[in-house]
Amino acid sequence: MPRFFLHIEDGTQRIEDTEGSELPDLAAARQEALKAARQLWAAAILDNRDISMRRFLIVDADDDVIDTVAMDEALPAGLLGRLR
Amino acid sequence: MPRRRQMPYNNRLLRALSDTDQALLGPYLTWSELRRGCVLVAPDEPIERAWFIEEGLSSIIAMTGARQGVEVGLAGRDGLIGVPLLLDADRTPHRIFMQVDGAAYGIASGDLQRVLDEHASIRKLLLRYVQAYATQTTYTALSNVIHTVEQRLARWLLMSHDRQDGDQIPLTHDFLALMLGVQRPSVTLALHSLEGLGLIKATRGLVTIRQRAELEACAGTGYGIPEAEYERLIGPLR
Repeated sequence: MPRFFLHIEDGTQRIEDTEGSELPDLAAARQEALKAARQLWAAAILDNRDISMRRFLIVDADDDVIDTVAMDEALPAGLLGRLR
Repeated sequence: MPRRRQMPYNNRLLRALSDTDQALLGPYLTWSELRRGCVLVAPDEPIERAWFIEEGLSSIIAMTGARQGVEVGLAGRDGLIGVPLLLDADRTPHRIFMQVDGAAYGIASGDLQRVLDEHASIRKLLLRYVQAYATQTTYTALSNVIHTVEQRLARWLLMSHDRQDGDQIPLTHDFLALMLGVQRPSVTLALHSLEGLGLIKATRGLVTIRQRAELEACAGTGYGIPEAEYERLIGPLR
Protein backbone atom coordinates (compact mmCIF):
# COMPACT_ATOMS: atom_id res chain seq x y z
CA MET A 1 0.00 0.00 0.00
CA PRO A 2 1.23 3.52 -0.74
CA ARG A 3 2.28 5.83 2.08
CA PHE A 4 0.46 9.13 2.53
CA PHE A 5 1.51 12.04 4.71
CA LEU A 6 -1.04 14.44 6.19
CA HIS A 7 0.75 17.74 6.72
CA ILE A 8 -1.25 20.50 8.40
CA GLU A 9 -1.01 24.00 6.95
CA ASP A 10 -1.91 26.76 9.38
CA GLY A 11 -1.69 30.08 7.51
CA THR A 12 1.97 30.30 6.58
CA GLN A 13 3.11 27.58 8.95
CA ARG A 14 3.36 23.94 7.90
CA ILE A 15 3.23 21.26 10.57
CA GLU A 16 4.84 18.17 9.12
CA ASP A 17 3.57 14.64 9.44
CA THR A 18 6.99 12.99 9.65
CA GLU A 19 5.77 9.40 9.61
CA GLY A 20 2.77 9.10 7.34
CA SER A 21 0.59 6.03 7.11
CA GLU A 22 -0.03 3.25 4.62
CA LEU A 23 -3.46 3.50 3.02
CA PRO A 24 -5.07 1.79 -0.01
CA ASP A 25 -5.55 4.97 -2.10
CA LEU A 26 -6.11 8.72 -2.16
CA ALA A 27 -9.79 8.32 -1.30
CA ALA A 28 -8.79 6.54 1.91
CA ALA A 29 -6.27 9.30 2.68
CA ARG A 30 -9.03 11.92 2.22
CA GLN A 31 -11.26 9.96 4.59
CA GLU A 32 -8.44 9.91 7.16
CA ALA A 33 -8.02 13.67 6.80
CA LEU A 34 -11.77 14.30 7.19
CA LYS A 35 -11.99 12.07 10.26
CA ALA A 36 -8.99 13.82 11.80
CA ALA A 37 -10.42 17.23 10.93
CA ARG A 38 -13.64 16.43 12.82
CA GLN A 39 -11.58 15.51 15.86
CA LEU A 40 -9.61 18.75 15.58
CA TRP A 41 -12.85 20.73 15.26
CA ALA A 42 -14.27 19.04 18.36
CA ALA A 43 -11.23 20.03 20.41
CA ALA A 44 -11.13 23.53 18.90
CA ILE A 45 -14.80 24.24 19.61
CA LEU A 46 -14.43 23.10 23.24
CA ASP A 47 -11.48 25.47 23.44
CA ASN A 48 -13.37 28.29 21.64
CA ARG A 49 -10.82 28.41 18.82
CA ASP A 50 -11.44 28.84 15.10
CA ILE A 51 -9.37 26.48 12.95
CA SER A 52 -11.13 27.17 9.62
CA MET A 53 -7.90 28.69 8.23
CA ARG A 54 -6.16 25.35 8.52
CA ARG A 55 -6.05 22.66 5.88
CA PHE A 56 -4.56 19.25 5.32
CA LEU A 57 -2.05 18.70 2.55
CA ILE A 58 -2.11 15.12 1.36
CA VAL A 59 1.43 14.30 0.29
CA ASP A 60 2.67 11.15 -1.40
CA ALA A 61 5.94 9.29 -0.85
CA ASP A 62 7.67 11.53 -3.46
CA ASP A 63 6.82 14.57 -1.30
CA ASP A 64 4.33 15.87 -3.89
CA VAL A 65 1.12 17.49 -2.67
CA ILE A 66 -1.58 15.43 -4.40
CA ASP A 67 -4.67 16.88 -2.71
CA THR A 68 -5.84 19.23 0.01
CA VAL A 69 -8.66 18.96 2.53
CA ALA A 70 -9.98 22.20 4.04
CA MET A 71 -11.19 22.04 7.65
CA ASP A 72 -14.61 23.31 6.49
CA GLU A 73 -15.09 20.18 4.41
CA ALA A 74 -15.31 18.19 7.64
CA LEU A 75 -18.25 20.18 9.01
CA PRO A 76 -21.79 18.78 8.71
CA ALA A 77 -23.22 19.90 5.32
CA GLY A 78 -26.25 21.66 6.88
CA LEU A 79 -24.07 23.70 9.23
CA LEU A 80 -21.68 24.62 6.45
CA GLY A 81 -24.64 25.80 4.30
CA ARG A 82 -25.87 28.13 7.05
CA LEU A 83 -22.37 29.53 7.63
CA ARG A 84 -21.98 30.42 3.95
CA MET B 1 19.80 -3.69 23.23
CA PRO B 2 18.69 -4.72 26.73
CA ARG B 3 21.29 -6.75 28.58
CA ARG B 4 20.84 -9.13 31.43
CA ARG B 5 21.57 -7.22 34.60
CA GLN B 6 23.54 -8.23 37.59
CA MET B 7 21.78 -7.89 40.91
CA PRO B 8 20.19 -5.76 42.18
CA TYR B 9 17.02 -6.10 40.14
CA ASN B 10 15.86 -3.18 38.08
CA ASN B 11 12.19 -4.07 38.63
CA ARG B 12 10.89 -1.88 41.44
CA LEU B 13 8.69 -4.63 42.93
CA LEU B 14 11.56 -7.12 43.10
CA ARG B 15 13.71 -4.37 44.60
CA ALA B 16 11.09 -3.67 47.27
CA LEU B 17 11.19 -7.29 48.49
CA SER B 18 13.32 -8.20 51.52
CA ASP B 19 16.53 -10.14 50.88
CA THR B 20 14.79 -13.26 52.21
CA ASP B 21 11.84 -12.86 49.83
CA GLN B 22 14.14 -12.12 46.89
CA ALA B 23 16.01 -15.34 47.66
CA LEU B 24 12.71 -17.27 47.83
CA LEU B 25 11.47 -15.93 44.52
CA GLY B 26 14.80 -15.94 42.68
CA PRO B 27 14.91 -19.64 41.69
CA TYR B 28 11.54 -19.34 39.90
CA LEU B 29 12.52 -16.36 37.76
CA THR B 30 13.82 -16.69 34.23
CA TRP B 31 15.13 -13.71 32.33
CA SER B 32 13.91 -13.01 28.78
CA GLU B 33 14.54 -10.30 26.29
CA LEU B 34 11.22 -8.86 25.07
CA ARG B 35 11.10 -7.11 21.74
CA ARG B 36 8.63 -4.43 20.74
CA GLY B 37 5.37 -6.05 19.64
CA CYS B 38 5.92 -9.16 21.76
CA VAL B 39 2.54 -10.27 23.20
CA LEU B 40 2.75 -11.02 26.94
CA VAL B 41 -0.94 -11.69 27.49
CA ALA B 42 -3.44 -12.65 24.78
CA PRO B 43 -7.12 -11.80 25.38
CA ASP B 44 -9.28 -14.53 26.93
CA GLU B 45 -6.51 -17.10 26.96
CA PRO B 46 -5.00 -18.68 30.08
CA ILE B 47 -2.07 -16.57 31.34
CA GLU B 48 0.87 -18.94 31.54
CA ARG B 49 3.49 -16.58 32.90
CA ALA B 50 3.67 -13.38 34.88
CA TRP B 51 6.43 -10.92 34.05
CA PHE B 52 8.42 -8.62 36.30
CA ILE B 53 9.46 -6.00 33.74
CA GLU B 54 13.12 -5.04 34.06
CA GLU B 55 13.31 -2.71 31.11
CA GLY B 56 11.07 -1.42 28.33
CA LEU B 57 7.39 -0.54 28.34
CA SER B 58 4.28 -2.65 28.01
CA SER B 59 0.75 -1.53 27.24
CA ILE B 60 -2.46 -2.98 28.56
CA ILE B 61 -5.07 -2.66 25.83
CA ALA B 62 -8.86 -2.89 26.13
CA MET B 63 -9.95 -4.39 22.83
CA THR B 64 -12.54 -2.77 20.58
CA GLY B 65 -12.26 -5.42 17.87
CA ALA B 66 -10.13 -8.38 16.94
CA ARG B 67 -7.06 -6.19 16.39
CA GLN B 68 -7.88 -2.70 17.57
CA GLY B 69 -8.12 -1.30 21.05
CA VAL B 70 -7.28 1.56 23.38
CA GLU B 71 -4.55 1.65 25.96
CA VAL B 72 -5.90 1.49 29.51
CA GLY B 73 -2.72 0.79 31.42
CA LEU B 74 1.04 1.10 31.25
CA ALA B 75 3.71 -0.94 32.99
CA GLY B 76 7.48 -0.99 32.87
CA ARG B 77 10.08 -1.62 35.55
CA ASP B 78 7.50 -0.42 38.10
CA GLY B 79 5.25 -3.36 37.54
CA LEU B 80 4.19 -6.92 37.09
CA ILE B 81 2.36 -8.11 33.98
CA GLY B 82 -0.13 -10.74 35.08
CA VAL B 83 -2.23 -8.82 37.63
CA PRO B 84 -5.23 -11.19 37.06
CA LEU B 85 -3.11 -14.04 38.49
CA LEU B 86 -2.77 -12.10 41.74
CA LEU B 87 -6.55 -11.80 41.90
CA ASP B 88 -7.40 -15.48 41.40
CA ALA B 89 -8.25 -15.04 37.72
CA ASP B 90 -6.53 -17.06 34.99
CA ARG B 91 -7.32 -14.77 32.04
CA THR B 92 -8.38 -11.28 31.01
CA PRO B 93 -10.15 -9.69 28.01
CA HIS B 94 -7.16 -7.31 27.74
CA ARG B 95 -4.23 -7.68 25.40
CA ILE B 96 -0.80 -6.85 26.78
CA PHE B 97 2.26 -6.32 24.62
CA MET B 98 5.66 -4.65 24.61
CA GLN B 99 5.70 -1.24 23.01
CA VAL B 100 9.35 -0.43 23.73
CA ASP B 101 12.08 -3.12 23.57
CA GLY B 102 12.98 -4.48 26.96
CA ALA B 103 13.44 -7.48 29.19
CA ALA B 104 11.67 -9.16 32.08
CA TYR B 105 11.90 -11.91 34.64
CA GLY B 106 9.11 -14.38 33.95
CA ILE B 107 7.55 -16.74 36.46
CA ALA B 108 5.23 -19.64 35.59
CA SER B 109 1.71 -18.97 36.86
CA GLY B 110 1.71 -22.18 38.93
CA ASP B 111 4.96 -21.19 40.64
CA LEU B 112 3.63 -17.70 41.28
CA GLN B 113 0.48 -19.18 42.84
CA ARG B 114 2.53 -21.37 45.16
CA VAL B 115 4.73 -18.46 46.22
CA LEU B 116 1.67 -16.27 46.87
CA ASP B 117 0.00 -19.01 48.92
CA GLU B 118 3.05 -19.62 51.05
CA HIS B 119 4.58 -16.18 51.52
CA ALA B 120 2.31 -13.45 52.83
CA SER B 121 4.92 -10.71 52.58
CA ILE B 122 5.34 -11.28 48.82
CA ARG B 123 1.57 -11.54 48.33
CA LYS B 124 0.98 -8.31 50.24
CA LEU B 125 3.55 -6.35 48.24
CA LEU B 126 2.09 -7.57 44.94
CA LEU B 127 -1.45 -6.76 46.09
CA ARG B 128 -0.29 -3.25 46.97
CA TYR B 129 0.96 -3.06 43.38
CA VAL B 130 -2.52 -4.05 42.19
CA GLN B 131 -3.88 -1.08 44.16
CA ALA B 132 -1.23 1.26 42.69
CA TYR B 133 -1.97 -0.02 39.18
CA ALA B 134 -5.74 0.37 39.73
CA THR B 135 -5.10 3.97 40.79
CA GLN B 136 -3.16 4.57 37.58
CA THR B 137 -6.05 3.27 35.45
CA THR B 138 -8.61 5.40 37.32
CA TYR B 139 -6.52 8.50 36.57
CA THR B 140 -6.33 7.43 32.93
CA ALA B 141 -10.15 7.39 33.00
CA LEU B 142 -10.17 10.84 34.59
CA SER B 143 -7.71 12.18 32.05
CA ASN B 144 -9.65 10.75 29.12
CA VAL B 145 -12.73 12.64 30.28
CA ILE B 146 -11.40 16.04 31.33
CA HIS B 147 -8.04 16.64 29.65
CA THR B 148 -7.04 17.87 26.20
CA VAL B 149 -4.95 15.74 23.85
CA GLU B 150 -1.90 17.90 24.73
CA GLN B 151 -2.39 17.28 28.44
CA ARG B 152 -2.93 13.57 27.93
CA LEU B 153 0.15 13.37 25.72
CA ALA B 154 2.18 15.21 28.39
CA ARG B 155 0.91 12.78 31.02
CA TRP B 156 1.69 9.79 28.88
CA LEU B 157 5.23 11.00 28.10
CA LEU B 158 5.87 11.59 31.82
CA MET B 159 4.65 8.10 32.67
CA SER B 160 6.98 6.62 30.05
CA HIS B 161 9.86 8.81 31.22
CA ASP B 162 9.36 7.56 34.80
CA ARG B 163 9.80 3.99 33.62
CA GLN B 164 13.06 4.30 31.73
CA ASP B 165 16.58 5.70 31.95
CA GLY B 166 17.46 8.76 29.91
CA ASP B 167 15.32 11.38 28.23
CA GLN B 168 14.70 9.80 24.82
CA ILE B 169 11.47 7.86 24.35
CA PRO B 170 11.33 5.79 21.14
CA LEU B 171 7.70 6.09 19.96
CA THR B 172 6.02 6.54 16.61
CA HIS B 173 3.06 8.88 16.10
CA ASP B 174 1.00 5.87 15.08
CA PHE B 175 1.69 4.34 18.40
CA LEU B 176 0.95 7.50 20.36
CA ALA B 177 -2.35 7.77 18.47
CA LEU B 178 -3.25 4.26 19.62
CA MET B 179 -2.16 5.04 23.17
CA LEU B 180 -4.26 8.18 23.35
CA GLY B 181 -7.17 6.85 21.29
CA VAL B 182 -7.02 9.73 18.79
CA GLN B 183 -6.34 10.25 15.08
CA ARG B 184 -2.70 10.63 14.11
CA PRO B 185 -2.94 14.32 13.09
CA SER B 186 -4.13 15.11 16.65
CA VAL B 187 -0.85 13.61 17.87
CA THR B 188 1.14 15.57 15.28
CA LEU B 189 -0.45 18.81 16.50
CA ALA B 190 -0.12 17.98 20.20
CA LEU B 191 3.58 17.14 19.75
CA HIS B 192 4.03 20.34 17.78
CA SER B 193 2.36 22.33 20.53
CA LEU B 194 4.47 20.81 23.35
CA GLU B 195 7.54 21.31 21.18
CA GLY B 196 6.59 24.96 20.61
CA LEU B 197 6.61 25.44 24.39
CA GLY B 198 10.10 23.93 24.52
CA LEU B 199 8.98 21.00 26.70
CA ILE B 200 9.98 18.24 24.28
CA LYS B 201 11.74 17.65 20.99
CA ALA B 202 9.94 15.36 18.57
CA THR B 203 11.70 13.70 15.66
CA ARG B 204 10.67 10.73 13.60
CA GLY B 205 10.03 7.85 16.00
CA LEU B 206 11.64 9.62 18.96
CA VAL B 207 10.46 12.05 21.63
CA THR B 208 13.06 13.74 23.82
CA ILE B 209 12.00 15.22 27.17
CA ARG B 210 13.44 18.73 27.53
CA GLN B 211 11.69 20.38 30.48
CA ARG B 212 10.23 17.83 32.80
CA ALA B 213 8.83 20.17 35.48
CA GLU B 214 6.96 22.23 32.87
CA LEU B 215 5.65 19.06 31.27
CA GLU B 216 4.25 18.04 34.68
CA ALA B 217 2.56 21.42 34.99
CA CYS B 218 1.05 20.92 31.53
CA ALA B 219 -0.28 17.45 32.41
CA GLY B 220 -2.24 18.95 35.32
CA THR B 221 -4.19 16.66 37.64
CA GLY B 222 -3.65 13.62 35.40
CA TYR B 223 -0.09 13.23 36.60
CA GLY B 224 1.27 13.01 40.13
CA ILE B 225 -1.38 11.41 42.31
CA PRO B 226 -1.02 7.81 40.98
CA GLU B 227 2.77 8.22 41.12
CA ALA B 228 2.66 9.42 44.75
CA GLU B 229 0.34 6.52 45.56
CA TYR B 230 2.80 4.06 44.01
CA GLU B 231 5.61 5.47 46.13
CA ARG B 232 3.48 5.33 49.28
CA LEU B 233 2.49 1.70 48.65
CA ILE B 234 5.66 0.26 47.09
CA GLY B 235 8.66 2.58 47.13
CA PRO B 236 10.64 4.72 44.71
CA LEU B 237 9.15 4.71 41.19
CA ARG B 238 11.82 6.48 39.18
